[in-house]
Order: sequence, then C-alpha cells, then structure tokens
Amino acid sequence: MIYKVSYVVVGGDFPGGIKNESEKPKVGDVVQIGRIKFKVTEIHEIIPPRDDFQFLHATVKPLDDAKKS
Amino acid sequence: MELVNILRGVELFHGLNIDQLQRLVSISQSEVHNTDDIIFNQGSAGDKMYVVTKGQVEIRFDDNKGGSQTGLYLGEGQIFGEMALLDQGARSASVIAIEDGTTVYAISSQDFMTLCKTDTAIGYVMMRNMALDLSFKLRRKNLDPSAGL
Repeated sequence: MIYKVSYVVVGGDFPGGIKNESEKPKVGDVVQIGRIKFKVTEIHEIIPPRDDFQFLHATVKPLDDAKKS
Repeated sequence: MELVNILRGVELFHGLNIDQLQRLVSISQSEVHNTDDIIFNQGSAGDKMYVVTKGQVEIRFDDNKGGSQTGLYLGEGQIFGEMALLDQGARSASVIAIEDGTTVYAISSQDFMTLCKTDTAIGYVMMRNMALDLSFKLRRKNLDPSAGL
C-alpha cells in the first residue's frame, strides 16, 4: 500500500506538504516537511482508497512546539 | 526496469501496464538536483512536467513585492509542472530542490502528447490521474485555506 499524505501545519506560517509514504503515518510520528521537522497530531482519510493507494490528511505541529506542550 | 518499478509507485502512472510504463520511461529524462537548485522559475515557458522520485522540492510564488513565499513542499511520488503540460501556459510558480540528490523525472510536453496520440489508453489514464491529483490538491487547500496549492 502507498499512502499519499497531505500534511497541514497547525498555527504559524509554515507551509505544509504532500508526499508518498510506504507506511501509514500515526499520531506522534515525526515527519520532515521542507527543512523543518514536525510531529503528527491528527490523521484521517481525505478520500476513499483506490487500489494500492490510500489518501490521508495529517495535521502536524513543529517538533519544538510539540515538546513544549 | 528499475525506473519502471519506481514509476509503478507514482499515482500519476497508476493503471498503466508494464509495456506502457516502459514507453513512458523511454521519453523520460532523469535530473538530479542539489539543495537550492532552481528547477524552473515562475513565468518561464513550461514545456515539461516532473515527477519527484527522491528528495523534496519547494513550490514558491512571487508575492508581487519583489519577494516570494513558499506555498507547498512536494516529496516522493508527487508531480509538478503538469499545468503547463495541459494548458501550455507560463509556469505559475518556481520550483526549487531543497535536498542534495533530489531526483526528478522530466517528461516533455511534446513527447507526451505524441505518445498520447499513438496510445490513447495511456493518454486517458494519465489525464484521469492528473485530474485526480489536482482534485486532491484542491481538497487539501479546502482543508487548509492558508495553503498555497
């Protein structure tokens, strides 16, 4: 299965990203978008899966913020 | 064959068989970029679309104040530059590699259109997949109005 994930950053001015993942992301995972690392805070399906592809929407926050909270 | 296997994991090529993928490989050119390499500039003529197979690229938009801002990052399996391939218009954003060794495969508009005319099944599948990718990006934007795409 290939996971096409839309990452959206909560708060701040960071742009998000889109990339394929070979493993399904989970809440708490750390992901690098651009030059910065983020922690996944929420994840859900954006549209139904199609054959080998799953389409996910993940919200993330900067790793430094995640450490503070 | 290695590239065929890579392309099988790219949504744009989903639904194509091995023979069709090999025909696409024959018109694809690999480009390897280092950090901060500009792949193309906003406003330039668009004659290719690209698939990211390694690393990440940054999509940047001019802000009309002499600067620019990042709209989105695209990683493995994502496509960019497809709008110019569809509408022949100028590039709507600049694209910059942000990791050393970022690898993209470029497909020229002319070669792609020729291939689509000779094999309409490839054309149908890829046009559908491009539409699905644009739909995904629009849904993403609806979920994050601050997103650039």
